[in-house]
Amino acid sequence: MSWRLRLWLGFLLAPPLALMTVFVVYPLASAFSYSFYEWNGLARGGFAGLENFRLVLFQEPFSTWTYRAFGHNLIVFCSLMIVQNGLAYLIAFALLKGLPGHRFHQVAVFLPVILSTVIVGFLWKLMLNPIFGLVNQALVAIGLAAWAQPWLGQPTTALGSLIVVNAWHWIGFPVLVFLAAMQRIPREIIEAARLDGAGDAVLMRRVIWPLVAPATTITVVLMFIGSFNWFELPYVMTGLDGSPGGATDVLGLYFYRTAFGNVTSGLQDFGRGSALAVLMFAFIIIVATWWTRVLRRREIEV
Amino acid sequence: MKAKLIGLAFAALAAFPVPSPAGDLTFWTWRQEDRSQYAQLFAEFNKLHPDVKIKYEAFEPQNYGTVLSTGLAAGRGPDVIHVRAYGGLEQFSKAGYLLALEPQAVPELANFEAAALSSTSMRSDSKVYAVPFASQTLGLFYNTEIFQRLGLKPPTTWDELIQVSKALKEKGVTPLANGMATAFMVEIFTSVFTGSFYGPGFTPDVLAGRATFEDPRYVGALAKLLELRDYLPQGYAGVDYPTMQQLFLSGRAAMFAGGSFEIANFRRQNPNLKMDFIAPPAEKAGGAQLVSLFYDGGYAVNAKSANQADALKLVRFMATKPFGDRFSALLGNISPIKGVTIEDTLLAKVSKLNEQSVPYIMAVYFRFQDPTGSTLLQGAVQKMMGGGMSPGEVGAELTKGIATYYPPFQKR
Amino acid sequence: MGAATRSEGVRNGLIQLVLLVNALVMLYPIAIMFLSAFKSTAEIYATPFALPQAWSLTNLTTIWAETNFPRYLLNSALITISAVAAILVLGTMAAYAIARYRFWGNEAIYLFFLAGLMVPLKLAIIPLFIQLKTLGLIDSRAGLVLVYAAMGMPATVFILTGFLRSLPGELEQSARIDGASEARILWSIMLPLTRPALVIAGIHAAVPIWNDFFFPLVFVQSDDYKTLPQGLTIFMGEYNTDWGVLFAGLALASLPITLVYIVLSKQFIAGLTQGAIK
Repeated sequence: MSWRLRLWLGFLLAPPLALMTVFVVYPLASAFSYSFYEWNGLARGGFAGLENFRLVLFQEPFSTWTYRAFGHNLIVFCSLMIVQNGLAYLIAFALLKGLPGHRFHQVAVFLPVILSTVIVGFLWKLMLNPIFGLVNQALVAIGLAAWAQPWLGQPTTALGSLIVVNAWHWIGFPVLVFLAAMQRIPREIIEAARLDGAGDAVLMRRVIWPLVAPATTITVVLMFIGSFNWFELPYVMTGLDGSPGGATDVLGLYFYRTAFGNVTSGLQDFGRGSALAVLMFAFIIIVATWWTRVLRRREIEV
Repeated sequence: MKAKLIGLAFAALAAFPVPSPAGDLTFWTWRQEDRSQYAQLFAEFNKLHPDVKIKYEAFEPQNYGTVLSTGLAAGRGPDVIHVRAYGGLEQFSKAGYLLALEPQAVPELANFEAAALSSTSMRSDSKVYAVPFASQTLGLFYNTEIFQRLGLKPPTTWDELIQVSKALKEKGVTPLANGMATAFMVEIFTSVFTGSFYGPGFTPDVLAGRATFEDPRYVGALAKLLELRDYLPQGYAGVDYPTMQQLFLSGRAAMFAGGSFEIANFRRQNPNLKMDFIAPPAEKAGGAQLVSLFYDGGYAVNAKSANQADALKLVRFMATKPFGDRFSALLGNISPIKGVTIEDTLLAKVSKLNEQSVPYIMAVYFRFQDPTGSTLLQGAVQKMMGGGMSPGEVGAELTKGIATYYPPFQKR
Repeated sequence: MGAATRSEGVRNGLIQLVLLVNALVMLYPIAIMFLSAFKSTAEIYATPFALPQAWSLTNLTTIWAETNFPRYLLNSALITISAVAAILVLGTMAAYAIARYRFWGNEAIYLFFLAGLMVPLKLAIIPLFIQLKTLGLIDSRAGLVLVYAAMGMPATVFILTGFLRSLPGELEQSARIDGASEARILWSIMLPLTRPALVIAGIHAAVPIWNDFFFPLVFVQSDDYKTLPQGLTIFMGEYNTDWGVLFAGLALASLPITLVYIVLSKQFIAGLTQGAIK
């Protein structure tokens, strides 16, 4: 490689790398190192080796909380893949058709993304409120009163409700990504397929799907990472404890209240919190890397 | 050894005090709502010490701990700190961020009851680290207008409570506003109604190891909560804290099991609300009606403050009776300073109720180590009220969780 | 589009219906948000979905009186724009290097950037605070900009790398044969093609920065440098939150960025068609 090329690459990579190192990687590494010490409130005690990890993974009740939270994150990821990314793909296709009003719909579907999660959370809490809420009122109005329940208060429906609200909030983003990718497909390919008699379903599955592989990679991986780092929406809607009775407890919440404490119930333990974060990070990076590789193999140049 | 060096380096980094001009103090708190009242209180302080300027900074309460931890850890904390009590205090005092208040330096400590001082002391060295600022009482609010209109008397026994609730329900009023969606209110709800049932002897027994939370007194008390399910709002599992408050404030619910901290809050949100605060109902006629009591926090001095002398002056001022009087009058909270005059009738009544109280057990004794009693209780009672757990199972879960670090439970 | 047959017309009609329902579901809660800005907290709970009884401007006047709204708005705007600019510039540089060149350590560097995405960055708040303090950037807008820029890079690099990789390799080769420098290739050829990806990455970065209150809460104490969401946390009390005022504030806060999106989406469509035509 010529030195000129090396210089060029250096110029391209050095500033971003420097910024990342100073403000993200170095602080993160420091924080990770906390997991190897015993913490007494805010005072760092002696070296604790892998004790914090042992506590988080094997010691009751912490271990139960860890696995419960992890399980919930898995549910969230799988559900959102269908309800958020899956639906987004369909909506993007609908928008691709360019039917009258598609510009309006494009803006409409993206508006919730722009809102602050705090307001989305509260808005939907109001909608799902068992007494004042629109959802229950609507169900009663159409004669489905039996279905009207305290959505956020029951362990069986709380997580599902949060998932639906999350989809409402963020679906605009994968729609945008898919739409952008679909619009880059040369018209000729689509028209050729139509001339061959392909209907919408075939078009979606056989023609467009393989060609939007880069978009799929992006949305799937970002969703995977987002599902496991999920924090703000459950925080606003059901609280830091993962009410009711831990039914909406996810790793993000569990990490935050372990590391920083919860005013109304728990204490902070930086060691355990850091250990949790290290474990989350290890899991995510391994799976996300593997997945990116798998998905990238599907990507064809258009 | 290496760990010690790293620890020392860490401490050295944090040791640089924030340079602030002598005579200037920063005060951090989570009470954003009290800015103007504290301004008045500090004005009183300035009458005695005109050369000390106080800068008041308030932070959003849920993240206050994080902001404070970060600031202190990096050596940029305030001079005078508004801190929580019990376990919340120890997190900071254990790390050496707070200045121990010695009786010689702060003779005003004599103005407080022992229970108040122990709430702001560190258990390991029994030193006081903050001047207590308020006590909170947990009991039953009720809407006097609705009761009068329906010809009902405030309940003094459990049976009366049930009767009154039935009558209210028939007239289309939700008897109790409480719901189970917000975890800390579940703990308050539990404490309000179980206190009179497990009685004053239970807590000392638990502390001495003579009883655990599986004791029939406690489990029996928990079982009583299940009887209230019919009188909670519809869909109570999903009724959260703001909804509960709104139900009571708007008169849709007639009673609210909560803390004395709601008084100022309710008044501000609905000045027309006619309410009263009573002790929770007793088990039987003539039995003890016990409120739950805890101390909410205090004012501490940053051990690394650049202006310790002035900080101590402020903290000492905040331990005097004149401050206590003004504090209660302005902020509608009960100051724990002995002999404080409380002019407000409702607050004075609440203060009197404190004489017959049980400690708010989890917050006071079991929030020092994880899993805290509070965390266990909140989740377990949520499940119990939803039908997923029996009272006995709740008691067992509490005992098991606390036994992981509490010796008196371990020998059983 | 070809001759529209009857069945195609019906199907398109159905699709339009679905889209309309979707738009309703998306927009109705937002309408509620704007209406609630004119209600008090009590009214929001009493009649959350009705029109405001009296279109009271109390919430807005409260915000104006109790917070430094214009100042916070300015800070938010400055910080978001600077951070997003830095993210897009640096992110494109890094993504371009990773996506279009083969060199030793390429994948490792890619993972290095990605690592920033995979961890709750709040974990590092204490070391980050110490870092900023050492650099003298506590209580400043620049500190926030740098932190946000660093935090926004991983996702941007990820998105842009994905898009850049899918562009054909011949583009540069022919330009190189013609003697164009690497810089020229980047500027004149590759950049215009990535416009849609830049828009997507930009929005993905901008929205959380604009709406964030946590990092400003920890890093900024002076009123002069507070951001809008941070300023609005004053209404989140310990025992009650003034939802009427918060709705008003957050609704106002969402306006600038909504306008930016609407404008950008026009750009976006233009950019897309440009990209498809070779």
